[in-house]
Amino acid sequence: MTTTSDDDAAAGSAPVAARRVGASRDRRGSGVPTWSMITTRFMELRKRRGLMVALMLVTIGIPTVFLVIRLLLHGFAPHSYGPAGGYSIFTGLVSGVLYVFGFIVAATLGATAGSIDLTEGMFRHLVVTGRSRLAIYVARIPAGLAIIVPLVAVGFTIVCAVCVFAAPTRLNFDGVNVPVNLSRAGLATWAADHPDEVICDFSFRIGPSSPIAPAANSVPCGNGPNNGPRIVKGGPGPQAQPQATPAQIREAARLIADQDYSDYARQFLYPSTSLMVRSGLWLELEAVIGFVVGLGLGSLIGQRTVAVIIMIVLEVILTPILSRARIPHLSNLQRAVVGLATAHLTPGGLPVIGGGGGGPGGNGGNHALLPESTTVAVCVILAWLIGWTILGAWRMMTRDT
Amino acid sequence: MTTTTLSASSTPSNGSQWAVETHGLTKRFGDNVAVNGVELLVPRGCAFGYLGPNGAGKTTLIRVLLGLTHADAGSMSLLGYPVPKHRDAALARVGAIVDEPRFHGHLTGRQNLRILAAAREPAARARIEPSLERVGILHRADDRVSKYSMGMRQRLGVAACLIGDPQLLILDEPMNGLDPAGMHEMRDMILSLVAEGRTVVLSSHLLDEVERTCDAVAIVDRGKIIRQGPISELLAGASLALHVECSEPDRARALLDATTIGGAIEVGQLGLGITLPAGTARDVIAEINRVLVEGGIAVYRLQQIQASLESWFLQVTSRLGASE
Repeated sequence: MTTTSDDDAAAGSAPVAARRVGASRDRRGSGVPTWSMITTRFMELRKRRGLMVALMLVTIGIPTVFLVIRLLLHGFAPHSYGPAGGYSIFTGLVSGVLYVFGFIVAATLGATAGSIDLTEGMFRHLVVTGRSRLAIYVARIPAGLAIIVPLVAVGFTIVCAVCVFAAPTRLNFDGVNVPVNLSRAGLATWAADHPDEVICDFSFRIGPSSPIAPAANSVPCGNGPNNGPRIVKGGPGPQAQPQATPAQIREAARLIADQDYSDYARQFLYPSTSLMVRSGLWLELEAVIGFVVGLGLGSLIGQRTVAVIIMIVLEVILTPILSRARIPHLSNLQRAVVGLATAHLTPGGLPVIGGGGGGPGGNGGNHALLPESTTVAVCVILAWLIGWTILGAWRMMTRDT
Repeated sequence: MTTTTLSASSTPSNGSQWAVETHGLTKRFGDNVAVNGVELLVPRGCAFGYLGPNGAGKTTLIRVLLGLTHADAGSMSLLGYPVPKHRDAALARVGAIVDEPRFHGHLTGRQNLRILAAAREPAARARIEPSLERVGILHRADDRVSKYSMGMRQRLGVAACLIGDPQLLILDEPMNGLDPAGMHEMRDMILSLVAEGRTVVLSSHLLDEVERTCDAVAIVDRGKIIRQGPISELLAGASLALHVECSEPDRARALLDATTIGGAIEVGQLGLGITLPAGTARDVIAEINRVLVEGGIAVYRLQQIQASLESWFLQVTSRLGASE
């Protein structure tokens, strides 16, 4: 930095009034970007045809192609292939495809926005305008988000639409077609009317003295030992049980239905509006994180490719490992991983990312994740957003070019 | 080029007579001092050449002035505004090309200028068309820059400068990539910009172009400014060169060596090349002629070689190199 006074050179030759005119006319030194800076930056990113095609292919193309194939298969061979949509397809696509790819796509866009002025030589032109470097950096955030947020939204909307409108008409619970949205009593009544299917196919747990045991063991399911029930957990064995009456069998089916009701209640033909809204917001949050971190990293490194590789490694390799491993003395550091934080914010009803599976019931794999409170998760996400923005802006403001 | 459609800003000058003023400006890269205590004064309203051999620190000084890199010591001002303290106010009226002008190749020339205009004041957008027209690429404004030639990118770079309606233009090697006609047009444009009251600082290795375009120059070597001032004054300090076409060149040299005229004499096939120290009186030329004629040498031609900026530049820079 200059060691002598900046004012010395002018030696009073820059009248204060004139300075005010020049400086305040368009607030060029302000860190807040103008609307036209944001719109032109949006234009610059949008006009990158290759990048835009790649982003659309990943966020919209992959789920669309997957769903179209399922629609066609179901249309031509409905008995061999299930419906294209439905609850399980929705949860699988959201947590398995849109979540991961949305992050990577957003990170790619962010890294591009953060580095491309440097690599293409426009940064000098922009700095020479006298515009604040901070404003030049900040303008990229709304411009990039204006691209990635709608892209993720479009891909997600297609998934929602297909999953709702091409959902199965009957609920398949443990391999049995069951009416949907039954109350506990309703399910018990339905079970009493379909005792063989319930006893043979529903999961249930019985003890030696359970009233279900004689009935369960007297129903010929065809694939169990001695034609007994296929699924018997902790049962005493079929050969000791007397033959049950039809009333006992219906009662056993009622009890099994009552036992399984909590699992049944989490089964839906298609995702609820609430789940779709929460899942959409969650995906957008992930995309925003990916973009902002990618932007900061791209600006910090000054090139796109390395930044994108680092982001992919973080998302696909490091986050799953650090979310599940129990490393002594480093658990607090692990909790600072943004992927773990977003996994903890997974909407109920979706399998938890990195949680070791789970299922349509939701939160099934949450136990495998390193524990973290919602407050800590929110703080970690905010810290990543703010921290990377500060890092990227700092590098841009101090970079020689 | 087209006729002027832009005019110099009506923004009142802030009173400083210097467009660029630096004192003790220094920039180091490790042990290498790229800009070494530079004292530079560029008057307003002129075309100013900034000359130096490769690696002399020309571009580094420009980068420091424009805030592209930080100075390690010294002070500077642009258009009277101390920089970096009032960098935004100063650069609001400065246009610059540093090194080779590069743009987003996937965008058109017009779209690139829109990005730059957005970073300037709102009125800058209205200057895009006239700027493109002025540099002669309006007809290609909607082509992608990746399809532009080097010369067209140079012109687009100048257009990018003009959208800010600058009082000061700093052009780093603006003739690069231009064909002879393009160089001629660029020279005319620079002169017209100066005629509008703007100041143009021209960094170039094309000394002939600088001599034709600029009113004053500064010579930089190894990070230091070793000469600066109006070209006419600087050349007046150059050595006096004579070409003498005569018979018996060897004997002619012997005759002159025996006198007190001094200077360096080189013998050629057709005659002598004589270099006299700067400030030598014109009477010495007549004295040389007299000595040769009285010695029986037939003098066919005696011509004073006009000192050029190039020869002077080489003298100055090589002399400095020899002294160190």
